Amino acid sequence: MDLSPNEKRLLVLLDKVKTADPSALAAEMGVSPESVIQYAYLLADRGLCRVEKEVKTTYSLTEEGQRYASEGLPERQLLGSFNEKIPVQELTRHPLARIGIGQMKRKGWVVVRGGMVEKTGKDAPGEDELALRDLSRGGPGLAELRRRNLVTENLETRYRISVTPEGLDWARRGLDMSEEAGTLTREQIVSGSWKGLKLRKYSLKAPPRKIYPGKIHPYQRVIEEMRQILLCMGFTEIYGGIVQSAFWNFDALFQPQDHPAREMQDTFYLKETLPLPEGYERVRDMHLFGGNTSSTGWGGRWSREKAEQCVLRTHTTCLSIQHLATHPEPPVKAFCINRVYRREAIDPTHLPEFEQLEGIVMDRDVTFRHLLGFLKEFYHRMGFPGVRFRPGYFPYTEPSVEPEVFVPSLGWVEMGGAGIFRQEVTAPFGITQPVLAWGLGVSRIAMLRLGLSDLRLLYKSDIGWVRETPSWLHGPDTGVGGQKCR
Amino acid sequence: MPVIRLYYRYLEKLVGTDRETILANLPMIGSDIERVEEDHVDVEFFPSRPDLFSVEGVARAMRGYLGIETGLPRYSVTPSGIEFSVDPGLATIRPYLGSAVIRNVKLDEESILSLMGLQEALHWAVGRGRSKVAIGIHDLDAVTPPFRYIAAEKSRAFVPLDFDREMTLDQILDEHPKGRAYAHIVSDFPRYPLIVDARDRVLSFPPIINGELTRVTQETRNLLLDTTGTDERAVATAVYIICTALADTGATVQSVTIGGRECPSLAPSERIVSSDDASALLGVPLDSTALSSLLEKMRYDAGPAGVSHVRVLIPCYRADIMHDWDIFEDAAIAYGYGTFDAEMPRTFTVGAPHPVMAIYAVAREVMSGLGFQEVLPFTLTNERVLATKMQRPLKDSVLRVMHPISEEQTVVRTDLLPLLLEMCQLNRHRELPQRLYAVGDVVGGTQTYPRAACVSTHAAADFSEAYAVADAFCRELDVAVSVEESDDPAFIPGRRGNLVSGGKTVGVFGEIHPAVLNAWELEHPVAAVEIDLTAVPGYPGQQGTP
Repeated sequence: MDLSPNEKRLLVLLDKVKTADPSALAAEMGVSPESVIQYAYLLADRGLCRVEKEVKTTYSLTEEGQRYASEGLPERQLLGSFNEKIPVQELTRHPLARIGIGQMKRKGWVVVRGGMVEKTGKDAPGEDELALRDLSRGGPGLAELRRRNLVTENLETRYRISVTPEGLDWARRGLDMSEEAGTLTREQIVSGSWKGLKLRKYSLKAPPRKIYPGKIHPYQRVIEEMRQILLCMGFTEIYGGIVQSAFWNFDALFQPQDHPAREMQDTFYLKETLPLPEGYERVRDMHLFGGNTSSTGWGGRWSREKAEQCVLRTHTTCLSIQHLATHPEPPVKAFCINRVYRREAIDPTHLPEFEQLEGIVMDRDVTFRHLLGFLKEFYHRMGFPGVRFRPGYFPYTEPSVEPEVFVPSLGWVEMGGAGIFRQEVTAPFGITQPVLAWGLGVSRIAMLRLGLSDLRLLYKSDIGWVRETPSWLHGPDTGVGGQKCR
Repeated sequence: MPVIRLYYRYLEKLVGTDRETILANLPMIGSDIERVEEDHVDVEFFPSRPDLFSVEGVARAMRGYLGIETGLPRYSVTPSGIEFSVDPGLATIRPYLGSAVIRNVKLDEESILSLMGLQEALHWAVGRGRSKVAIGIHDLDAVTPPFRYIAAEKSRAFVPLDFDREMTLDQILDEHPKGRAYAHIVSDFPRYPLIVDARDRVLSFPPIINGELTRVTQETRNLLLDTTGTDERAVATAVYIICTALADTGATVQSVTIGGRECPSLAPSERIVSSDDASALLGVPLDSTALSSLLEKMRYDAGPAGVSHVRVLIPCYRADIMHDWDIFEDAAIAYGYGTFDAEMPRTFTVGAPHPVMAIYAVAREVMSGLGFQEVLPFTLTNERVLATKMQRPLKDSVLRVMHPISEEQTVVRTDLLPLLLEMCQLNRHRELPQRLYAVGDVVGGTQTYPRAACVSTHAAADFSEAYAVADAFCRELDVAVSVEESDDPAFIPGRRGNLVSGGKTVGVFGEIHPAVLNAWELEHPVAAVEIDLTAVPGYPGQQGTP
């Protein structure tokens, strides 16, 4: 049983005086009587003292009552202001008439007859007047004075504090009376007085105050992990504009101008246009007849206006091809994780904007086998030991592949797409070496990592969720942690 | 992408093996299995392979892949003697016509549905919603050759499919469900395409609807195919795919004479490819013999043409073969994607973050260190969020999307602060204080700019908090700023400041105006800062396109 210093001091005092009221103890301890009562109750809880509480009622005169006690009740004063009789009209001019006349009539001291107030002679002092002189008389007189608000009732609580045999026992066994301190002060630290200082102990039973640190959003943290993996693998990061010409977003990637993905229901078009780059004709020729490659091209027509029209980028591949166009010499290893836009209505699994990851490798003599090697390594580092491949289709890659990763809770899950850029894509920009490329929806991995089933939660952030999600992300299913830089 | 329904009973019969083997190998020839049911499987095939949009086409590919029947499937075509003329007036409307006669078809309920499914899938993948190609299939015996493809008066009338009365062409566009769906393809032309027989009876109003006259039923024995469109190659492809699918059921294909030419010819095309190129692309050593035998499994005829070349005969239905690499991909599929020995290339490179991303990373670190929590608001928003509720005018440079999905997402964000206030509104029920930040791109005109912003809301949030945060953030990002009075109406006058760097306003901070708080239904003061990160030293400049 741990007693606070104040409880100890009180107990020591009680050992001397055995019993006392709080004010006496308070004077002795140099604290307020209220504090003494508080300490006493704490000791009483442990059975070391007894607190007796007595509630006593006392009465005192109000301000008005005090005046009447010295001058007499209004009716007595009024009665003394005239002889046997007086016209009512005259008496009403007296300042106490309003209260006095009624009271005199009620008590039978006067009668009113023919406009005259006449004394009856029966005006001996009543119980109320006696009580006014001595409140301790009590009785009906006091009740009457209370009714007239001349007396108030006061409840006085008195405490008696006495030590119990257990308390005496404790006190005699000796108490450690050294001071406890709540705070460690600079003075104590510097002077060395902390050495004799006893610091108050805190209870571990009370929960801590909850504080929330500033932090990076959990989804951004997943993205950062992926960035780190790719930077560690020697990839250069690409960044670029949200607004792209259809030329870079589609045409440069050999998407035919009548391709369904280019239609208005799938892509956010803008009324703005951007000029075509120098040498755009090589891309045009590729569409029309395959340029100078073994390709037949798409045939049909190719419209410059369609290529100039702006869109919100539908994939980050438009940034990859621009990077290649400005870096046509091997080797190139580049990546990009950024937001892309599709004209989709919002529901739990579709959003009009989301993040895409994209990586490209261009070098002499890289092959489809290397593409598969890269994919395996990348997904391993992402925390997916099981990776397999099957054929896929993407308009700008050939061959194309759909990687699948094994997620214990879900089985084999399709995870993005990959392939080697078609020559129709690379040739117009003077790129002569194969370009391995792959991309994936980052949100899908983030949802697995964060245990979410609704994509919208990643963006319409519930601060409560952000606060409660740990910054260190790991998990048996998809744990990236620890795989990052080897 | 079109989903094709394959019934096991018929598919097993056509392929010549059991369903387990077929199901296990379907993904390996290039498809996504959607649903496996008791008696059928629904499969999504890639849009590049419209020849796989029918059970016959799938069976043909599967037989090759499993080695049951390899090499080029051969189709013979005999002349039907039927003529089909094309009106020169169609040159600017819908110039191309393809056709064929298919005799001795055996149709039941299932195969009629399958044929209609193929037709619809082709309309989508090859026909681009019927604008590029539309397909009509008719009961040949209900009409009299020769046939004419004409540009007709809009007042012409006939009984369209599923109706029991004559309607003019314009009425069909207005009233028939198919008319309303596809009217946009032809409505701008002075005349409409129409196919009529020798007695001037209407077979079809392409690309809208066939006539009731030539409805195909289970009793139909001989078919006339018409494909019309704006792209000659696509029109021919549709004919090849339908004819070969029907020929695989045992029917006979006959050609029709169009402008003196027999159509169709189901003959293969030829390409000479290099096995060295294939080896270099795939990373496995393939000589001309090895490459040939892989291609035979993919239903090509292939034979060595010298040591390092292969002569490849490509089936007419393979519309996707545009380039040698398309053939090499098929070799890779035949080789087996699971068979490749995946290997990391030895390319040595040093990675580096993009400067803007590096700035973003430090901005996040500083904001987090200042006690703010990151949020990731959308970039698509609307005028009410950016302007009305902020008491700000909408910026002239705001970018509007032309066909928004909803009223909520009509423009691209020009600032981050309004979205942070929206975030506060969404989180009104959460404990205070709330300190939120966002870093990310905003758009002005066609340009993208990096930004950072933060808000702090609690009973004591005020100007000094905003000022202190702005100051600390600028110091940490090494942005030399001075401050001056701001007139931003989103803030309280006298409690707002602009951050000025290099003579340019690069940020704003202060205490949000109570009217703005009311608009966002916020009940506590908000201290806010927004800063343009192009002011950060080392910002690489606008990311233009090459």
